[in-house]
Amino acid sequence: MTTAVQPAGGALDRPSSSSLADVLDSILDKGLVIDAYVRVSLVGIELLTVDARVVVASVDTYLRFAEAVNRLDLSATEEQGLPGLMHNMREGGAKDKAKGAASGALEAASDKLRDTLHRGDKADTKDSKEH
Amino acid sequence: MSTTATSTQRPSTRQTGCYVYGIVPADAELPADAYGVGAPPARVTLVPYGDIAALVSTVDVGQPIGRPDDFIAHERLLDTTAANVPVLPLRFGAVVTNTDAVAEDLLAAHHDDFAKALAQLAGRVQYVVRCRYVEPVLLAEILAENPEAASLRTQMRDLPTELTHDVRIRLGELVSQAIEAKRGADTTAVVDALAEHCVASAARPASHEHDAAHVALLAEKAHEAPLAKAVDQLARDWDGRVTVQLLGPLAPYDFVTTLSPGHGA
Repeated sequence: MTTAVQPAGGALDRPSSSSLADVLDSILDKGLVIDAYVRVSLVGIELLTVDARVVVASVDTYLRFAEAVNRLDLSATEEQGLPGLMHNMREGGAKDKAKGAASGALEAASDKLRDTLHRGDKADTKDSKEH
Repeated sequence: MSTTATSTQRPSTRQTGCYVYGIVPADAELPADAYGVGAPPARVTLVPYGDIAALVSTVDVGQPIGRPDDFIAHERLLDTTAANVPVLPLRFGAVVTNTDAVAEDLLAAHHDDFAKALAQLAGRVQYVVRCRYVEPVLLAEILAENPEAASLRTQMRDLPTELTHDVRIRLGELVSQAIEAKRGADTTAVVDALAEHCVASAARPASHEHDAAHVALLAEKAHEAPLAKAVDQLARDWDGRVTVQLLGPLAPYDFVTTLSPGHGA
């Protein structure tokens, strides 16, 4: 996993390899879809239509945002200015929390994907038995 | 209950398929240690036809794919390949019966379209710029700009928690809407700032609630330095408010469908 740690002297982060989350964004719903071109048997593996995205708007999200706003110390923001606050944030727990949330979504995505694949397998087996 | 095979009784002959990663020019050279999906990872080979070839490996279809290592292997192979030759990446999970089917049904049937798309991609690679808001800075910005949100925050803080459910929902909704609006504006800013350094761009949907912009760029490999410099400038301009990450060079995942003629509806 790449981290959000910024290199010294510059704000740009250039990881040498993609994190798993980035990989999923690139290969699950992008790229050529083979059955659009060719009818070949996909031997038990369904084409994947996995939605790995986080649902952005929900009551849970709203409540979480409200809680974050509640915790927000505006006086700290005003006194320190943004760069100071930013510095604290990098050292504080927010990063770990963000990381936790991201990997949670990721696990859900892989679970879902595995389910899809298993289902694909089973559906095929069942089909071939019924016909 | 049907009598499907269980773990106690495995079929004696394993059924294999041909996993397809992408399509490259026929004269592409694979690194000696090219491995793909599966456990253990399978050796990747080329199935040539005419001017083009497919990157493939044998996969045991009785063994589900979709482990993190499989995803990473798929992308790593394509990104490594894209650094040297043009490649049309396939979506994860494409498995064809065997190599004959790859040559005849996939490559022969679409030879000219694929060759043309590869020619268009020559010298070009994908980059991804991902920008994320720094939450407390973002929230402070929203409260400063939105009087209703600021007033809801005061109410929430003055009343006991059990009385503020609706206030919190409304506040969260306002924050969520404000982020969406900012995301739209900031995505446009990223695309505009980098337009002169790429041949095409494609905004990706937000995949995280803190996403400020998530944009795929198709650019000349030879122009990476000025592109990286422009992204770095963006990162400096937004320092403290937004973190900026640049990924690449990558295979052109976000651009293949538009490059392949005859695919549109």
